[in-house]
This record gives sequence, structure tokens and C-alpha cells, in this order.
Amino acid sequence: MTHEAAWTRLPDLLDDRDDAALLAHVQVCADCQRQLFLLGRVDRLLRESASGRRLPRRRATRAWILAAAAALAAAAAALALILPQQTRSHGFALRTGMGRLVGEATMGGGDSHNVSLALTARHLPIDHGQMFVLWAGESGSSIQVGRFMVDRTGSCRVRFNLPGNRSWRHFWVTEPERPRAIVAST
Amino acid sequence: MKAQPQNTRAGRPSEVSAATADVELLQAIAAGSEPAFAELRGRYRAAVARVCATVGDAEREDCEQEVFARVWRKAALFDPTRGSAAAWLLTVARRTASNFHASRSRTPTPSSDEPAAGATDPADVDAFWLDAALVRLSEQERTVIELAYYRDLSEQAIASQLHVPLGSVKSWKRRGLNRLATLLGEELA
Repeated sequence: MTHEAAWTRLPDLLDDRDDAALLAHVQVCADCQRQLFLLGRVDRLLRESASGRRLPRRRATRAWILAAAAALAAAAAALALILPQQTRSHGFALRTGMGRLVGEATMGGGDSHNVSLALTARHLPIDHGQMFVLWAGESGSSIQVGRFMVDRTGSCRVRFNLPGNRSWRHFWVTEPERPRAIVAST
Repeated sequence: MKAQPQNTRAGRPSEVSAATADVELLQAIAAGSEPAFAELRGRYRAAVARVCATVGDAEREDCEQEVFARVWRKAALFDPTRGSAAAWLLTVARRTASNFHASRSRTPTPSSDEPAAGATDPADVDAFWLDAALVRLSEQERTVIELAYYRDLSEQAIASQLHVPLGSVKSWKRRGLNRLATLLGEELA
């Protein structure tokens, strides 16, 4: 996939459209990572703005159905976190050395080769910059999942793809230039 | 009597377009550029109207005019190292609206010559900025994004409502969101 094609399609990632080729490009392209960070923030601004402006639904029953669906989705998400090993989709939490929760992630089915990982970081310490690296490890080996950029509050939402043929058990976050300085881990 | 851009204050020739950053517009306005003033006013009209809506229908229009009159007079006081253009403009708008409220209650508040951008809530600045940024999109891009976010319509539903192919909706939405992200990047730079 060319950079131009990936750039054009970056907004698709806001809609949870898994596209392995696009995600693979984003993983190695700093410009696309920054644009995706900005897109995430624009998406959040629009949603916040929408909450104050959204027109009433034509039919109250539809709002009711959506609310019920949202409650079911929230329950399903909670269940996925509670029973991480028993379902295909599971999650993990990232904490600092002091035990402060700074990130949560869910992993789900991507395609036959990859699993998707959606990370929500909150209040990561930005004393040494706003760029971070997420790592994944299994017995004796590790890979760099990807880089991500947080906003001024240390927060962001980002998506990655991981090889699906391995059993990732451990995740941690470091600064880009100091891979041994672990900021947070599972 | 409200200050308005005067021909006698015509500044150096400047090329102003939708791509010109807000900071550059304010700097051009400080130098007397009427095209820059018109562009900025077009971008922030809706955002300022939202702030002035708090003063009531009778004075709302006066409030909006007074905000832009102040922008014209005080643009030279804008310091980009102290905050973003959107934050400064929001402060001007709020202070103007506040003065309208105060004059109604006959307890005028002192008006500073230099609005400080740092005192505003970042979330409010973001919302103020978003109103202006949406104006900078093409009509198709803005319409699709507003229908998607403010009416919560799917792309297919938007295509049906606008009587256009689904591919056009996808394309306008992608372009619009990418454009907003790029503008936000300029704002944060």
C-alpha cells in the first residue's frame, strides 16, 4: 500500500474497519501515526460536540433499542475483561511501577494472520516526551508492537495488529529511545 | 459606535485563502488586512454566535458585531506564544458577552486591553475551534460529517438522504476528517 493510499484511508480506522495492509503501513509510518492520533482527537471532539447538538430521534423506541444495545455491549466488554482466557477476545491493563492504571487494551480477532489490539492510554507520564513504544512478549522473545503518541494529558486511543500465530502474554510500554526504561507494564 | 475595518487602514497586500492559518490571519489583521478579517469572520461567525447566544436575542447581534470589532482593534495584542488563536478569540468573545451581561445589570466590569488566552478551559477552546474548522471544509465534506456525527447516520443512510453514491459519501467523509486532523495539527504546532 502506498503512503498516499494509506493516508487517504486513515479515517477508516476510526470506524474499527480492520485493514491489515493499512495497519501494517501505519505501524512503520511516523507521519501516519501522527495523523491517526490527530484523527482520533478530531473524532472525540466531534462526538463530544454531537452530545450537545444531536437532534432527537424520530422514534423514541429506536433510542431505547440503542440504549439497550449499548448496555449489552458494555456488559459484553466487561465480561471480556473478567474472563480473558476463556473467550477469543480479551483485554489487559497497563500499570506503572507504582501500580497506577495508565492503559487498558482489548485484543480481538483480526484476520487469519493477525489479531487486533485496541489500546486506550490515560495519563501516561510525559516528562520525557509524548511518544511511546508498546512491546509484546511471550516465552523468551519480544516484538515492538508499534509507536504511539499521547496528547498533553498523556492519553490517546490507538490500534495495532499483532501476529496471530503466537501467544502474547506480557505487554509493556517504554520511551522510544530508552527501550529498557519501562513506563508501564501488564 | 463600533469600530469597523476602514479603507484608510488598508494594510499591505496579502493573499488570504481557506488554507491560511488562524494565527496568520490575526497577524494580517493586525497589519490592517481586510481580506484576512473577512476570512476570520467567516470562519468564526458560528462559534462566536454560540457564545453570544447567552446574552439574549435582543442583544445577540450587537454582541457578535462587538466581538469582531474588538478582534479588528486588538489583533495586534494577540501573542501566539501565550496560546492559540482559537483560545484568544474565545476569550474576546466571552469577555464581550460578559460585558453585555454586566451592562444589563448596570454593574460594568473592567475590560482589559489584552485578553489572556490561558484562562479558558481547553475543552471549551476545542469546541470553539471545531466550529470554525468545520467552516473550512467543502460543503459536501461538512454535510457528510455533520450527518454522521450530529445525526448519527450511517454512510449508507447519508448516501440515501443526499441521493449520491455511497462511494462519494465515503470519500467526502475521509477527506473532511483528514482535513480537520491536519488543521488540528496546525493548531497544536
